Amino acid sequence: MNKVIDSFLIIIFWGSGLFLLLSLISLIAYLIVQGGSALSLDFLRLSPAGSPLGTEGGILPAIRGTLHLILIALTVAIIPALFTGIYLTEYAQPSFLLNTMEVLIQSMAGVPSIITGLFVYAWGVVQLGWGISLLAGGIALGIMIFPVMVISIRDCLRAVDSDYRLAGAALGVSPAYMLWRIILPQSWRAIISSILLAMGYAAGATAPIMVTAAAISSPTSGNLLEPVMALPYHLYILFNEHISLDNAYATALLLVIMLLILNSAALALTHNGTKSRR
Amino acid sequence: MNNNVGNTFFKIISAVIAFTCSLLLIAVLFFMLRESLPVWQMTRPLAFLSGTDWSPIYPPIQLGIGSMLASTLWVAFGALIIAIPLALACAIFLAEYAPQWLAQLLRPALTVLTGIPSVVYGFLGAAVLVKFFEIKFQVSSGESLFAASIVLAFMVLPYIVVNSESAIRAVPPEYKLSALAVGVSKPYVTMKVIVPLAKKGVLGSIALAFGRAAGETMAVLMIAGNVLRFPESWFSRGEPLSALIALEIGSAVPHSLHYQALFAVGLVLILVVTIINILINYLVNNNEMPRY
Repeated sequence: MNKVIDSFLIIIFWGSGLFLLLSLISLIAYLIVQGGSALSLDFLRLSPAGSPLGTEGGILPAIRGTLHLILIALTVAIIPALFTGIYLTEYAQPSFLLNTMEVLIQSMAGVPSIITGLFVYAWGVVQLGWGISLLAGGIALGIMIFPVMVISIRDCLRAVDSDYRLAGAALGVSPAYMLWRIILPQSWRAIISSILLAMGYAAGATAPIMVTAAAISSPTSGNLLEPVMALPYHLYILFNEHISLDNAYATALLLVIMLLILNSAALALTHNGTKSRR
Repeated sequence: MNNNVGNTFFKIISAVIAFTCSLLLIAVLFFMLRESLPVWQMTRPLAFLSGTDWSPIYPPIQLGIGSMLASTLWVAFGALIIAIPLALACAIFLAEYAPQWLAQLLRPALTVLTGIPSVVYGFLGAAVLVKFFEIKFQVSSGESLFAASIVLAFMVLPYIVVNSESAIRAVPPEYKLSALAVGVSKPYVTMKVIVPLAKKGVLGSIALAFGRAAGETMAVLMIAGNVLRFPESWFSRGEPLSALIALEIGSAVPHSLHYQALFAVGLVLILVVTIINILINYLVNNNEMPRY
């Protein structure tokens, strides 16, 4: 093939890679420029004020609400996800049943988050009578992150060198001993880092809490059966109801900063570990 | 012996939890079906899908989601059309051309791009892109399915890149080495040998991205325009299925026809996405999933 086409293709490949990197950098830079000035200490410390609510003051209740939601989501999801991940890699024998379970969990990971919200709305909010509440929102987020956590925990466990398993099996060590003494010590960093990423996922999800938990204004005291404010929903309201563009930029910036912190922590965990995942 | 009992106990516990949790998808499907049952007794599924009038509260009651379904398809396919060329080029770049240091920058960047909340994408799309269209084309409202597609393209891009890259990397190196040994150039080998061999994995990643785009809610809610009209073109405004649910479920009286109809919409959406997901699973037949 001739040289012109070759160099053209190489330019396209390089260009697309650099474009992606540059668009992320410019996205973050733009948020900093637009939202940096409004993102002050007072903004983090005060409750929304002004009329309409949110034009002045800060976003403290929304931050608190988001933290509560993440906490509940993790409480709901972590233990089942760990057990399921461990079962899939360490105990289950290859079979039709195992295959079906994997397909179900992977498809669950692909279910749109609004559907997860709708499910919890029908089951928790209406049928069990929780109403629009912190509890319903936390559970919706927990259901949303559960399959994603199972998949990443499973992959973390699978990434452990299979020589160890063979050696362990040859020595007649029990699977539980293998798991606690050999597999988990080698994979816990990767597992924690995938949990951190799941926290970021839960923190930013809007659709599921929009139908199950979120309120435009709420004291967000931590009462399980009370509607809560949450950062992503607050951002949506600030922009959509034309309340305050500056505060919307600041809220978006805060969400992205939270995400960057979680991502950096996850990256640091997997890279500094003696056994990194990849 | 005690140890042995503990081991068996742990195994049983994890089996029970794993099995129960796998049934989550079934439970979700069951709830969508149960809550929407009266709708299916009232309308034929085909009429529900193809009807273009949505009036669930005031008579004459009409339950047709054709307009919203068309909006969903426009937005999702549109996003793919925009994202695929860029994503594939980027995947090839990462797998074959990127120097180590740049790849080490790009991979975390992709993770961050997938992690940025959809509401932030929606907000930026509405505050920047839609405003830009309004000024550039002198229209009163820049919201359109097209604008939503652009933003969705950015959101699904990292999924396609990451999964396509691993598909490309999975091509055995012998192919590449022997092709290079014949004396053809590296871009030629990439385009004519490696990419065709990775086709299955690449298609899988695209189908996965379609599922993501079709189910995405916040970005389309903020950008697509929220108009219950049949979208004549990519550039008209519309209201995809996900946005319809998000906007109306809060005001629908539980167990009213409106409420039931919204669950019917949910059932359609989850079926579309899940069928695609299961098909990919059989197509690709390995367990690559996106890292968010």
